[in-house]
Amino acid sequence: MKLTDEQRGGVLVVRVDETRVDASKAPLFKDEMARRIEAGHTQIVLDLSGVDFIDSSGLGAIVSCLKRLGPRGNMAVAGAKGAVSRLFALTRMDKVFALEETVDGALGRLGA
Amino acid sequence: MPDMKIRHILLALTACLGAALILAVTLQIRTEALDYREAQRLVSSNAVREQLLLAAAAMGQERSGTYLHLAGTRGAGVNLGLAREQVDGAFSAAERVLSNGHSTLGSQDQSLTALSAVRRSVADLRAQADQAGDTGNAIAMRWFRGMSQAIDQVQTLRLTLLQQERPQNPQVRTNGLLRYYSGILSESIARNQALLTRAIGDIQSADPATLEGITRNIGRSDLAWELIHDQSATALPEPVQAALREAREDYETTLAPLGRRAATALAAQTRPFITATEWFEVTERSLTLVGTIQQQLLVSSRTRLARELERTERVLAAYAVLLVGGIVAVLLSILVVRNRIVRPIEVISGTMLQLANGDLAASIPRSGRTDEFGEMSDALRVFKANALRRQRLQQDKDQLHVRLREAYQMLRRDLEAAAAIQKTMLPAPATLGDLRYAGLYRPSSLVAGDTFNVLQRDDGKVSFFQVDVAGHGAPAALVSVASHHILSQALLKRSDNAPLSQIVAEINADWPDDLPYFTMIIGEFDAASGHGRMVQAGHPSPYLIGSNGTVRPLGEGGLPVGMIPNASYDDLEFSFTAGDRLVVYSDGLIEAESSAGEAFSEERLEALLQVNVSAPSADLLDGIDAELRRWRGSESLDDDLSVLILEQWREAGHSSGSHSAPRGDPSRHYIAAASLDASFSEADPTYERKQ
Repeated sequence: MKLTDEQRGGVLVVRVDETRVDASKAPLFKDEMARRIEAGHTQIVLDLSGVDFIDSSGLGAIVSCLKRLGPRGNMAVAGAKGAVSRLFALTRMDKVFALEETVDGALGRLGA
Repeated sequence: MPDMKIRHILLALTACLGAALILAVTLQIRTEALDYREAQRLVSSNAVREQLLLAAAAMGQERSGTYLHLAGTRGAGVNLGLAREQVDGAFSAAERVLSNGHSTLGSQDQSLTALSAVRRSVADLRAQADQAGDTGNAIAMRWFRGMSQAIDQVQTLRLTLLQQERPQNPQVRTNGLLRYYSGILSESIARNQALLTRAIGDIQSADPATLEGITRNIGRSDLAWELIHDQSATALPEPVQAALREAREDYETTLAPLGRRAATALAAQTRPFITATEWFEVTERSLTLVGTIQQQLLVSSRTRLARELERTERVLAAYAVLLVGGIVAVLLSILVVRNRIVRPIEVISGTMLQLANGDLAASIPRSGRTDEFGEMSDALRVFKANALRRQRLQQDKDQLHVRLREAYQMLRRDLEAAAAIQKTMLPAPATLGDLRYAGLYRPSSLVAGDTFNVLQRDDGKVSFFQVDVAGHGAPAALVSVASHHILSQALLKRSDNAPLSQIVAEINADWPDDLPYFTMIIGEFDAASGHGRMVQAGHPSPYLIGSNGTVRPLGEGGLPVGMIPNASYDDLEFSFTAGDRLVVYSDGLIEAESSAGEAFSEERLEALLQVNVSAPSADLLDGIDAELRRWRGSESLDDDLSVLILEQWREAGHSSGSHSAPRGDPSRHYIAAASLDASFSEADPTYERKQ
């Protein structure tokens, strides 16, 4: 699981450098994100611009990050496109976390 | 030889070397033994000749005494009895040595015969002398010749013996010759002692023959001395030289001049200046001196031969010791080679073969040695330990493998049983009132996270749901069974006016946080009003195939169940009249990827439905399944797949029971997959998602 971190002010931007987040990658992704949250990052932008496909396990892993952040934390997702964007639409993820086309837009949503 | 084993070669080589050594020593011993026997023979021969020499000297004495006695000459001081005893003693001694067991003289019998012949002659002569009486003077000369002949025979016997046992040592040979020559000297002196003594005593008796004999004897003495002188060139022992010097001086200064003057006087018929007694004494003294020479020569020979015998004895003993030592060394070598090399090789090679044949029970000899055999048995011990460890590991692995296979088979049996049970939970294609339905169900493994159900309540209303639990395999399957049960119960027990969205919200609120979420379409049909209602919870939008041939997706999504605790859901109402069909499917259908990694997609599904709007539901399901297999290029799936088609097959309230599909020819099957792609692009040239 390849993730690239970038600290933008108080927000940690995590870019997912994988084309797929499926059942085989989801547990690793979950652990990696959990490690960052345990390290004290509460404001997170997840950059999915490089991801082509997310399955139900991948979606569960992303939502579990949000749950782990709890009420004090916040997460926005940027760059979802194609099948990923359609999955988010179908499952109404806009109700769960902020969805933006760009990282900057997502940063704006987090008030950074 | 090439087939011989190392141990046999070693033993054979050691034995060959030992045999060669023993053979060499044995041959040397044989040579030395021959030398030893030769030395013994020389000693014997020497001893016999010594006695014969003494016998000849004593016979000379006896001859002088007897001859003068027979002739009646006075003045000769000879003890006849003593002389005879000396002769007999010497003969007996010679016979003893000859007959002695270990004297291995070649001519033993011949010599004994010759000796006894001489003794008989001497005995005859003695008998004649004793019986002569007054006629002695007449037979004296004849007797003298007879005795001289006997003495010559003894001397001949001596010479024969000397020539037979030809000594190799030049000094011993010289000694022998000197003794022979001194014998001649002694004999000629002794003859003249007798002859001259009588002639001086009785001038009348000296006839010309006697005088000639006397002169010849003197010549023989001179010749003997010349021969002795010739042999003196050889280094002689000092006592022999001293005796020779003294005897020669006596001979040249006294005996020879006196003898010649006496012979000359007798030839002239004049009385010699010397008396018979004086002459006898002079010769007696000379004979004693010559005897001394002979004694010294005998001592020298004896000493030399004894030393030679002793030397050969010593050498023989040394070689015997060497032989015994050699045999012991060879036996020891063979023993050492056998015990220290051959046996260990047998043991080690036997053990190696056992190990090579996989007999790990083979016991490895504990030699306690630090040489190559110790190293070999140490190495073997390591080999064996390794082999044992390998064997143990292999056994462990085999056991583990068996246990794993058993566990896997048990798990698989369990899963197969679970899959069979899960399948029985799915409703078979059936008709419930005005509604009929059929389903397609393909798990990606044995059990699936997908499930669906169609229920009819007591009031005749038909409800349905299709669920897809996040993930797949056993955990998803267990959750799908749980959700199947919960949803079925909720649908059967709900009050009439409770909207579906409320049921979903309640289930969502009660969903345990640590279980995976699921997506679903849950819906119901109100036949009376010709409407259907549904809640979309994260599930793909179902397609509504209208009786007029239109195909359109229903709904725009909704939150999955069990993801967000306080989620709310929307009810969607749609018209559903005779001939309308609803195609509900899980995302495993549209996300199924080709070998190139391309998803099947909603667009392809929609196109497939567009071209098959008229196909009966069962054929449509078959068509979807076949098309998907073609798309995948294999029988396997990455995700669970289920499709449920529900169809209002007659006008609501129609109760005739007549069975006629409102549209479509039941015999018509779905359009073959091969023509789909072409149809697809024609049917929807924009090929865009219209949402």
